Amino acid sequence: MRRRSFLIVLSGLAFGARADPLLDPITQGAPVKQGRVKLEMPLLADNGNSVSMRVSVESPMSEADHVRAIHLISERNPEARMASFHLGPRAGAAEIASRVRLAGSQRVVALAEMSDGSFWMDSAKVVVTLSACVDELGS
Amino acid sequence: MTTRREFLKVSTALGGGLAFGFHLPAANAQSVAPEVNAWVVVRPDDTVIIRYARSEMGQGSMTSAAQLVAEELECDWSKVRVEYADTNAQVRRKRVWGDMAAVGSRTIRQSQDYLRKAGAGAREMLIAAAAQEWDVPAVECTASNGVITHGPSGRKTSFGKVAGEAAKLAPPKDVALKDPKDWKIAGKPIKRVDIPDIVAGRIRYGIDAQLPGMVYAAIGQCPVFGGRLKSVDAAKIEGRRGVIKVLPMEDYVAVVADNWWRAKEALKELPIEWSFGGNEIASSESILQFLRAGLDDASNVVAARRDGELEQGLAGAAKVLEAEYFTPYLAHATLEPMGCTAVVKDGRVDVWTSTQNAEASHATAAATAGVPLENVYVHRVQLGGGFGRRGGSQDFVRQGVQIAKAIAGTPVKLLWTREEDTQHDFYRPLSLVRIKAGLDASGNPVAWYSRISAPSIISTLLKLPLKEGVDPQAVASFADQPYSIPNVRIEYAQRNPHVPVGFWRTVGHSQNPFMRESFVDELAQAAGKDPYEYRRGLLPATTKERGVLEATAKAAGWAEPLPAGVHRGIAVTESYGSYVAAVAELAVNDKNVVDIKRLVLGIDSGHVVNPDNVVAQMQGSAVFMLTAMFWGEITIKDGRVEQSNFHDYRMMRLREMPKVEVVLAPSGGFWGGIGEPGQAAIAPALCNALFAATGKRVRSLPLKNHGFEIA
Repeated sequence: MRRRSFLIVLSGLAFGARADPLLDPITQGAPVKQGRVKLEMPLLADNGNSVSMRVSVESPMSEADHVRAIHLISERNPEARMASFHLGPRAGAAEIASRVRLAGSQRVVALAEMSDGSFWMDSAKVVVTLSACVDELGS
Repeated sequence: MTTRREFLKVSTALGGGLAFGFHLPAANAQSVAPEVNAWVVVRPDDTVIIRYARSEMGQGSMTSAAQLVAEELECDWSKVRVEYADTNAQVRRKRVWGDMAAVGSRTIRQSQDYLRKAGAGAREMLIAAAAQEWDVPAVECTASNGVITHGPSGRKTSFGKVAGEAAKLAPPKDVALKDPKDWKIAGKPIKRVDIPDIVAGRIRYGIDAQLPGMVYAAIGQCPVFGGRLKSVDAAKIEGRRGVIKVLPMEDYVAVVADNWWRAKEALKELPIEWSFGGNEIASSESILQFLRAGLDDASNVVAARRDGELEQGLAGAAKVLEAEYFTPYLAHATLEPMGCTAVVKDGRVDVWTSTQNAEASHATAAATAGVPLENVYVHRVQLGGGFGRRGGSQDFVRQGVQIAKAIAGTPVKLLWTREEDTQHDFYRPLSLVRIKAGLDASGNPVAWYSRISAPSIISTLLKLPLKEGVDPQAVASFADQPYSIPNVRIEYAQRNPHVPVGFWRTVGHSQNPFMRESFVDELAQAAGKDPYEYRRGLLPATTKERGVLEATAKAAGWAEPLPAGVHRGIAVTESYGSYVAAVAELAVNDKNVVDIKRLVLGIDSGHVVNPDNVVAQMQGSAVFMLTAMFWGEITIKDGRVEQSNFHDYRMMRLREMPKVEVVLAPSGGFWGGIGEPGQAAIAPALCNALFAATGKRVRSLPLKNHGFEIA
C-alpha cells in the first residue's frame, strides 16, 4: 500500500509535483523539482546493512542562498524517513556522505530544502542482492 | 570486451561444453556476436551459445536452464554450448540477466518464464531474418532443430546464416510459450553439460585459480564469534622463508607468502592476541538454556499463525500430548573450503571465487576495494559445493579483496583451511520446539500448539526487518501446516545467541518437518492408527501433500507386508514450492545399528525440466540429510566451535549409503524447487521407522547421541 503510493508519487514527480503522505510533512505541499541534487548510491549492494551514499547539492551556500536541509527517504524501510541533515551557510558545502541500511531492493530519494523554500530532489535505485534461501524475500 | 582471438584461445584450450580461463583478459571472455538477445548467441557455424546467469554447484541448473531456452529456440541441442553471463556486462547492461543467485531452489522456478521467452523471442527474430532474406511472410516459416524452413517453397536456411541479420531486428513484444506437454528438449533426461569437464578434470573451481606471479594468503579469524584482533607480533614470523607480509585486520589476521603452505605454517607460529568481547563464556549448555527460556517466556514472543481457539480446543480434547524437539547447529562443510583469488590494480578488481551469487560477490568486491561497479570483474567458476554457505554471506570475497588491496597489483589467492571453514561458518540455526496437541475421542487432532525458540537468519544475517516479528524460515512447516485441525496456534520466540547463522540447504525445512512429522506420528500412535492412513485422512483431498503422499506410499508398497525385522516410517511436507514425501524401511539390531533397506522419496515439483537431474538431486539430498541426521552437530565451548575437520564433523561414506528410489509425481500447473525439497521428509520418515523398529521416539538429532549407528 505504502510502497505503491510512493511509486505513484515518484512517477508523478517526474512530471512536476504531487501531494504525497511521505513528502508532505517535509514539503508542506510545496512543489518538488528534479535537479540540483545528486544522489550517488551503488546499483548493487551485497547486503542492505550498510550501503554507501553520497548526496551533493548545487548551491553557493551563502547567507542568501543555501541548502537548509537534506532529507533521505526510503521506499521500503520500516522508517521511511531515513535521515534529515540540517545545514546552514557555515557548512561551506552542501555535501553529505554516509552509510545507510536498506530493507531490500528499492528506490531512495534525496530531497533538498533550499533557503528560498524550494525543494529539489534526486533518486537512486539500489538492488540488494539478497542471496537468501527464502521465498518471501525475492528481490 | 575481449577480442575474438583471446576468446578463441580460451575456448579451444578447454574444448568442452564450458569456457573457463584463468587469465587476465581485457574484459571477461564472453562471446559477443552475433548476439540475438542477451541469452542467445548464434555463431556462423551454427553453434548456439546459451548464457547462464546463476551459479552451478552440482545442482544441474546450468543444464536445465539451457534446456528451457533451447526448447523455445528450436535449436539443435548438440550444437549448444553454455556460457556464464558476465557480471561486469550485467552491471553495464542494467542487469539484463536479472537475479544471478543460485539459492532457495529458485534457479529454474524463478527464471523459467524469462528464459523460455528469451528462447522464443530469439527464434522469432531468426525466423524474421530468414523471411526478410527470402522476402516472404514470417508466418510461412518455421524453425526446428536449428533450421528455418519456408513452408510453401521448401527453402531452408540455418540459424547461423541468419543470426547476423536477426541480431539487428527489434525483439518481438509478445511470444507464445509452448505447453510443457509439447516439450522435446525440456522435460527430457539430457546429460549435464558440465559432466564431461568434471570427469576429465578440466573443470575449474574457485580453488583452482592460477595466475602469473600469484602469492598466497592463509587466514586466522577470531576463534570466538564477534571478537576483535587486539595485537599481533608480526616480527616473530617476518623472517620466515617465503613470508611476504603479515596483515592484521579488524577480525582476522592474514599471512601472505610465496606459497600457501608457508603462509599457513607461518600463521601457526604467529603470536596473536584477541579481544573476545564477552562471548568467550558461551557454551552449548548456556545457549540451550537461553533457548529453553524462550519456550516459557511470556514476552518477546509473536504469533505466526492463529486458527480457532487453542485453549478451548485443548480443554475439550479427550487426550493431550506434549513433546519437545531439538535440532542442533550444523556446518555446511563444502568439500572446497572458502577462498577467493583477487587482483586489485589501477582501480580495477578481478575476482575468482566459488560463489552462489556472482552479483553479490561483484558488489562486495566493489564496496571493499572502493571502486565503481563498472571496474569489477568476477570471473565465473564452478563451486566445490555451496549448500547455502556461498550466497548470503560474502565474507570470503571481502577478505580476499581486502588482502589483495593491501598488496596492490599482485594476484593473491586466499584459501581457508578446513578448520577455519568448519569454525567460521554461518551455521544452520539450532531450534528448540515445544509441541502440544489435543485429540478427540476418535484420535483426530482438534488443537495444535507449537512454540519455536530459535535464532532468525533474516534479522541477524540479512539484517532485514521481520514482518510481524516472524522469521518465516524459523516457523516453516509449522505456520503453513496443511492438516485439517480447527484450533492452531504457532508462536515464535526469536532468540539469537552469538553464533552466526545462515542458510543451510533446505533451511527451516531441514529441521521443522522432522519435528512436525515425528509428532504427527506420535499422534497416530496415540490414536492407534496407521501413520499413512492417519495423515491421509487429515489432508484435504485437494492438497498436493496428499497427492505426493499417496504416490510415494504406493511406490513404496505401504500396503504390502514387510520382511520380518524390517520396519517403516513415512512423512510428507511442502518445501520450496514442491511437495515431498518419504518412506524409509530399516532394521535395527541389538547394538542399535541401523540398516536402512530402502528410502523411497517422492516429489511433486509441478513441472520437471530434467528428470535425471531431479533424481540426482533427490539422491544427493539423501546423502546430505542422512549425514546430518546421524552425525551432524556443531557444539560450542568457550564461545567457539568445538569441531574442526572431518574427523569430528563426520561425512557419510560410500558403503553407508542406502538404496534410494525416487518417485517423480509432477502434477503440472506450477513450478516447484528441486535442490532443497528432497531433504525435507527424510529425517521424520527415518525416525518414524526407528520408532516402529525400537519403540524409541527420537526427538532430537543427531542420532549418534542416541547411540544409533549406520550399518
